[in-house]
Amino acid sequence: MPNPFLSYEQLTRRAFLGSSATCIGGLALSQLLQQPTYANSVSAEGLPNETFFPPKAKNMICLFQHGGPSQMDLFDYKPELNKWHGKPYPGGDLEIHFDKQAGNVLGAPYQFARHGECGMELSELLPHTSGIVDDITLIRSMQTESVDHESALRLIHTGKFLAGMPVMGSWVTYALGSSNENLPSYVVLTDPGGLPVDGERNWSSEWLPAVYQGTPFRSGPSVVSNLKTPEGIPLAARSQQLELLRKLNERHLKQDPFNTELTARLQNFETAAKMQLAVPEVLDISKETKETHELYGLDHPDTAEYGKRCLLARRLIERGVRFVQLFLSGQPWDTHSKNAETLKGLCARTDKPSAALVIDLKRRGLLDDTIVMWGGEFGRLPVSQGTDGRDHNRHAFSLWFAGGGFKSGYAHGATDDFGYSAVENNVNVHDLHATLFSLFGINHHRLTLPHEGREVGLTDAEVTGAKVMRELLA
Amino acid sequence: MPRPTRATICHLLLASCLPLFLPGLFPAECLSAEPADVSFARVQQILKNQCVKCHGPLGPEGSLDLSTPAAILNGGDSGAAVSRGNLEDSPLWQRVAAHEMPPEAPLDEESRQVLQAWIETGAPGLPEKVTPEDLIHWSFRSLQATDQLIPSAAEASNVAAENPIDHFLLPGLKSSGLDFSPQADSATLLRRVSLMLTGIPPTLDEQERFLNNSDADVYDQIVEYYLASPHYGERWGKFWLDAAGYADSNGYFNADTPRPLAWKYRDYVVDAFNDDKPFDQFIREQIAGDELSGYRPDAEVTPEMIEQLTATHYLRNAQDGTDSSDGNPDELRTDRYSAIEGTMQNVSTSLLGLTIQCARCHSHKFEPISQEEYYQFQSFFYPAFNVEKWQKPATRIVEAALPAELAVWETEKNEREMRLATLEEDLRTWSRENRPQGEMLFEDDFTTSNLDLKLRWSDTAPGDDVPGSSLPIKIGEPSEVPAFYSNDAGHLVIDASQAAGQDSWNSTQQMFEWAPAEIGEWIQVSFDLVDNRLNSESPAALRIGYGIALHDYNDNSSISGGNVVFEGGVPGGGAAMYYDLPGGDSVPMDRIGDREYAPGHNYGVRLTRTGEDKVELQHLVDGVPEGRTQHLKPNQLPAGGFGFVYYQGRSFIVDNVRIERTPLYSDDFDIAWKAYHEEDQKRRDEIDTLRQELTDHLTTKPGRIAWVADYSGDAPDVPLLVRGGHSDPGELVEPAPFSILCDSDENGELPEFKITPPHADSTGRRTAWANWVTRENSRPAALMARVQMNRLWQHYFGTGIVSTPDNLGYSGDRPTHPGLLEFLASYFVEHGWSRKDVHRLVLHSRLFKQSSQHNEDAYTVDPDNKLYWKFPRQRLNAEGVRDAMLYVAGSLDTATGGPSVMTSRDDAGVTVVDETTPGAHRRSLYLYQRRTQIPDMLQVFDAPKIVFNCTRRNVSTTPLQSLSLMNSDFIRRRAAELAARLDDDNSTTEQVEQVFQIVYARRPSADETTLLSGFLEQQKSFYEEEANPARHAWIDCCQMLLASSEFLYIQ
Repeated sequence: MPNPFLSYEQLTRRAFLGSSATCIGGLALSQLLQQPTYANSVSAEGLPNETFFPPKAKNMICLFQHGGPSQMDLFDYKPELNKWHGKPYPGGDLEIHFDKQAGNVLGAPYQFARHGECGMELSELLPHTSGIVDDITLIRSMQTESVDHESALRLIHTGKFLAGMPVMGSWVTYALGSSNENLPSYVVLTDPGGLPVDGERNWSSEWLPAVYQGTPFRSGPSVVSNLKTPEGIPLAARSQQLELLRKLNERHLKQDPFNTELTARLQNFETAAKMQLAVPEVLDISKETKETHELYGLDHPDTAEYGKRCLLARRLIERGVRFVQLFLSGQPWDTHSKNAETLKGLCARTDKPSAALVIDLKRRGLLDDTIVMWGGEFGRLPVSQGTDGRDHNRHAFSLWFAGGGFKSGYAHGATDDFGYSAVENNVNVHDLHATLFSLFGINHHRLTLPHEGREVGLTDAEVTGAKVMRELLA
Repeated sequence: MPRPTRATICHLLLASCLPLFLPGLFPAECLSAEPADVSFARVQQILKNQCVKCHGPLGPEGSLDLSTPAAILNGGDSGAAVSRGNLEDSPLWQRVAAHEMPPEAPLDEESRQVLQAWIETGAPGLPEKVTPEDLIHWSFRSLQATDQLIPSAAEASNVAAENPIDHFLLPGLKSSGLDFSPQADSATLLRRVSLMLTGIPPTLDEQERFLNNSDADVYDQIVEYYLASPHYGERWGKFWLDAAGYADSNGYFNADTPRPLAWKYRDYVVDAFNDDKPFDQFIREQIAGDELSGYRPDAEVTPEMIEQLTATHYLRNAQDGTDSSDGNPDELRTDRYSAIEGTMQNVSTSLLGLTIQCARCHSHKFEPISQEEYYQFQSFFYPAFNVEKWQKPATRIVEAALPAELAVWETEKNEREMRLATLEEDLRTWSRENRPQGEMLFEDDFTTSNLDLKLRWSDTAPGDDVPGSSLPIKIGEPSEVPAFYSNDAGHLVIDASQAAGQDSWNSTQQMFEWAPAEIGEWIQVSFDLVDNRLNSESPAALRIGYGIALHDYNDNSSISGGNVVFEGGVPGGGAAMYYDLPGGDSVPMDRIGDREYAPGHNYGVRLTRTGEDKVELQHLVDGVPEGRTQHLKPNQLPAGGFGFVYYQGRSFIVDNVRIERTPLYSDDFDIAWKAYHEEDQKRRDEIDTLRQELTDHLTTKPGRIAWVADYSGDAPDVPLLVRGGHSDPGELVEPAPFSILCDSDENGELPEFKITPPHADSTGRRTAWANWVTRENSRPAALMARVQMNRLWQHYFGTGIVSTPDNLGYSGDRPTHPGLLEFLASYFVEHGWSRKDVHRLVLHSRLFKQSSQHNEDAYTVDPDNKLYWKFPRQRLNAEGVRDAMLYVAGSLDTATGGPSVMTSRDDAGVTVVDETTPGAHRRSLYLYQRRTQIPDMLQVFDAPKIVFNCTRRNVSTTPLQSLSLMNSDFIRRRAAELAARLDDDNSTTEQVEQVFQIVYARRPSADETTLLSGFLEQQKSFYEEEANPARHAWIDCCQMLLASSEFLYIQ
């Protein structure tokens, strides 16, 4: 089939800059080169005295665990909990969301043991994560600002608890673009069971251009909107159509040959045609080995679905997608009742595939420049809600990271004796964002855009005081 | 050329840590075109980063403000900050050199050298002298009259320009050796004006009318024609709606619940633009229409009043989640404050181009707005959004209908209600006479007195020792609650509006055997559901509760089981079923039945003995078993009563409770039932249709307006919030406008700010603010005019004269053509705030009428067209793409106004406009504007998600747009419709001519005709199997024309 598009050589340098500015590549480049407003309000002199390192990470996979996984049952061993089980909480006032249902101290029924060379202590519910402890950084001292799901989700995704700010994945792809123009730079693998709480906002670019929005790969027949050539158009006819379009557009371009928007528009039809082929290819896991299938648990009903999405995450990263996010439907980790029982089921579903992803990335040499994140929006309380549940807690929760420049075999921070509040080396969400940005070589003070009358970025450091947590970095 | 890798981009990003760019913080001195000195720009950068935090426009330390050139020269307590060429006499340098300033850390060596060199070379960039007016930020000054502005520009240009706008641009062009491009050809201009003013291209008729017209004033005619088009308000009103933050949903929470009456505000805005309502009046109505209208609950409503009440919806465009908020009191307060803070942000950015939200927590660093002023501003709106006496959006409704309109509506309502009642009565009578009956064990049609009810019904189940509730049901006493009585219509009313328990019930006095003795025998209970609400005003009951085998409320009996309760109307259809309610031993079971519960139908349960140890339960709808079944054992169904179950607030009305069992001759019964059921169903269908009509009619009740009004006439306490904490009130504040925008009187004093309550129920605060902001010749009015004209310019030419349309303050960008913006603002005000007059001015300029074609020479000098040597080509906005496609396809539904067209999610979760929805082809403005669900087609072309508001849209060019243009169902349908418009009897050449005129509004060149003809010929060959290959080829061709750049751009 003839190539109905301009070759790159036909484009002037100026046109090239424009096209990379507007196609799936990083808009930030053109912002840097063309729009002085970009650096308007912060100059080098104005910055706090922070050192920035060359980038270590190129990609990120976020395994998001909606609902608030219980830190004291999974990551943060608290023997006092079991001693005080069933007795009134001795530690003073607790901030409680459902304040009428608070009970006594609720013990953590699962056993903890030390693992790996680093001796990281994890729950028996996480046997596979226990196998990769020497590759991860576990933060036990995370804190956030809201005990409301939606607000806390927005905070961890966008840095603000009110809706309307772009998510981290949008910022990262805005800054760095994608190295495969035939795939979206930011892909979201949603749960076939449905959307997570707060829906599309979890991957919304809001006022950043729509191209930096997470593109959900749905599990139905239509993976991406408008990806299939309409039925009834034969391949040859489609090819002729695009040829006609190219001629019409080239003719039109002659009136304004250096118009970067028009040039990009011409080129994008080629990119779109390639996307139509690239997306089915990445979704086809039949050529992965049996061993790989088993590693991710595709051979077991408990892990098959989540495992497949973890494997797809690796395939997407391999092909140059910048940012991949996995979500669960609803908010399964929100264990207001039957905490222990629910955790067991969730771990059976997610533990093996999550660890497999780290193992697989590592053996393929992808882990060095890929950050893997595992965690939710907040933690849970040491006391019971009702008889067997745990309520929300913003004062402490645990997250883990692997690769991309994070330390290996490192547990950061600590909580009090009951796991209610972080007390040592606390990390807030803004610090976390600044740290992640720094691993991508992005100065979080710099990556801002004018919005609603001021320069706004993910960390909004002037207001939040966000700083890079160097202790977390290898 | 090799493509740079992403690694290069990363490097560039790191490199951006270096100060690559000179600052744009400081606006040019208002009208001076003199370029700022490069070294001064560097100095300003240093001052901004190191000094302005304390020495800023607001309450500067030592009264020294270093944020503008004039302020630097003006100096502070120690005189001018800088003495030209003299380091010794420059206090700024002295403090810096002595390491006194900045106090935390001295300036680095390089910065000091820059500062030193700048002062030593005579401080270039500072003005010669400073007048008090100079110390005011350019956008905060009063306006100069247009006649003062034009001559100076005309002199500078040394050219005769007929249109004042050209006066302001020609000097810049001339000084670079450029000029405007030649006027565009008439076909291009016609299409440009049509798209610019109405958002849709010219029709064939319009092309015929204006392009074959030799009148000297034909361009005038074009301008006036499109300015008068009702489609004008649909395009330009939408820009205002975006700026005002309009949406059809509440936002804030994920549920993003609907705002069913918001469209009335949308229509108000479109009408105001079409009527060219003076902008100052437009604003006053939106801020305080309720107070200005003279509306009182007892006054006769006029059309003007309705308009003004509707206008106040402007103040409720912000997100408001309080209809569905829960949580502890602090969380509730935050939700409420978020609504009022969103409103303030909408007002300040859409009207004043000011960013104020920083001042919520602390006095603004870069803008002269203190935290106290932020709360003073809040106190204007607080009486309507009183956080301590909150009104949820759903209750903030006024009923203000025109009397005649209301009378018509009520007559129609009464007629429908009467017809419905007649049909229902007929059905009851007919049913009573014709319904085949089982062996009737119990029957009540509720036509006897309430006293008699007590003989058949009780608050206590038969055999039980306590009533079926801690708050016993009152039988036959209408004035008591929870109540159970027959009304005048002979229906039974279940009034649970005060029912305390979750699980209280009443019961028949009579006891029934619920487990039939023999296999094949049955017993059933059924009732007519007359209505699921007490009256048309009360909320619909979400569940219809009833129970069988009721016998043991407190679990004291030795007989276990029974108490089988059904909750009809659960989501997904049928009834939820519970066994052995209440108490900890009760068992929730699966649902029974599939059908929804709707008034006008008969519901119930039949229990059939199907086995030795098995009773099957079937759900009955209109007497017929349907859907899922359940099973119980005979011993789980002890003898007991039947009754209705009361839940909080779930009131409903029923009739004809019947309990029957297998008749003697059950074969005859089945045959008779079948015949009866056919007629019964026919009658019920008729009733359903009428009932739906009535429901639809009720939603169209005229006069319901989602307005804003003060909670009461008493001025509430409005506290400053310490650090913005919603539960951390500080000192009380009084309403006062932003001091930076206050005009002092001739004595230099700020005039007293007067607030007069219009009547006892309103504080008058918003009226006072509305009058302040629109007062003639005032500073706020000047700022408002500048902000509006800047946005108008942006909509015409892609970028505003100030590129930050929501920020004309200190921290905003500087105007590229300050004199021009000033002129437009003055012109706007002098022409009675008429937008259409400004449009005429712009449309008649050489600037607007010039060609958009490339010009190599001009391009070399000014590649970015900053001087406007050509008309800047622009892509249609999202709405424009969709509307124009529908329009040229001949499918645009041009109906105006009214409730929004609903959008929906398709199976893949994509938001679409279902092609079969009524109004699916209306303009995009009329599509449901849900904050979280933008139709895919619009979203890929950059339609904004309205969270707060939007004064500037991205214009992206992405492969997702290409995919949509190549593969979407929408464009394929439009292409087919467009192809069908072409006359099959014409030659291909004639058809090509026709399609070019429809799509591009011009004739094709010979080349283009050849191109399309060749394509069509070849394309046909791919569709030889099809019935009409030529049509297929044309559809493919039309799709590509719609996807082409020429169609998608205003040339």
